[in-house]
Amino acid sequence: MRVAFVGKGGVGKSSLAGTFARVLARTGERVLALDSDPMPGLAFSLGVERVDHGLPDEAIQEYEEEGRRRYRLRDGLTGTGAVEQYAVRGPDGVHFLQLGKARGPRWNNTRQHFGFQRVLDDLPGAGWSIVGDLPGGTRQPFMTWGRYAETFLVVIEPTSASVLTGRRLAGLAATDEAPRVAAVANKVRAPDDVEQIARRTGLQVVGAVPFDPHLATADRLGVALLDHDPEGSTAVAVASMVDTLRSGLEPS
Amino acid sequence: MKIAVVGKGGSGKTTTSAVLARTMARRGRATLALDCDSNPNLGISLGLGEEVTERLVALRDAVDTGEEDHASSPDELVRRFGVDAPDGLRLAVVTAIQNPQPGCP
Repeated sequence: MRVAFVGKGGVGKSSLAGTFARVLARTGERVLALDSDPMPGLAFSLGVERVDHGLPDEAIQEYEEEGRRRYRLRDGLTGTGAVEQYAVRGPDGVHFLQLGKARGPRWNNTRQHFGFQRVLDDLPGAGWSIVGDLPGGTRQPFMTWGRYAETFLVVIEPTSASVLTGRRLAGLAATDEAPRVAAVANKVRAPDDVEQIARRTGLQVVGAVPFDPHLATADRLGVALLDHDPEGSTAVAVASMVDTLRSGLEPS
Repeated sequence: MKIAVVGKGGSGKTTTSAVLARTMARRGRATLALDCDSNPNLGISLGLGEEVTERLVALRDAVDTGEEDHASSPDELVRRFGVDAPDGLRLAVVTAIQNPQPGCP
């Protein structure tokens, strides 16, 4: 399967994406986790030690087209090759590739930016599942950083701002090539939170993750939730979501 | 005084901005709150509700689609893309536009 997590900043995209990727890998699938957020957080929730590991400069080649400077992967390097060569191996055998950290306004990451996008256009196909963690907010994610995804999971917590963001994303998706978009309710506290999220966004809710104080503790410690609280409510809810999506997408 | 609130997603920028703005307004300062986020929710935190917040966002989006004219001055920007908010402050949604015209504030 190819999924991408989107939603408002702070709703838990990275926490859920990292947990999802590892749980999916434990079912035996070969998983590539992609962090395209210039303020990356996926490494923490995966439990990968290297938190800032973008494509190296040598992977990307500069060229000129109609007088404009452009970038592509260096001669002979395919997207799949870049994944094999530059992705970091994390717990549960997850492969991890990231855009790399933005280093302030003076640091020019155009090279990494375009190089990473070239990889997105040429991701390994058969035998791979892909789990993407996208930047927060409503900047068009469907045609850009998430263009490889078959299913977009909009993470929504029961707050006005998060629900509004979910609704805006649902609207954006409706006007494009109609990708499959579903909601994941996160930080659920009240019995009707999930129903409210479904009703107010018009999205199908494919997962409901209860509010989990262990997640805040894991974040504070900088460790993956799955390592901090492997059998807790979030792990259980994510496992159920993985099952839902696997059964819905098979046979592919 | 001009304050910009920045930080990682979900760390509380919008909530902090809203409380700062309303506190300053309550202390009698003429206060303008600017929502520069590409996913603007400051209206919610200021207490304007979803409907007013979405109306401002739709108005701002209409500039990108060409249905709404660009503002010709900062004052016009705050007037046309803004709304009065609690405690006497003014909120304007001023997210960066996609195709700025020369002289666009």
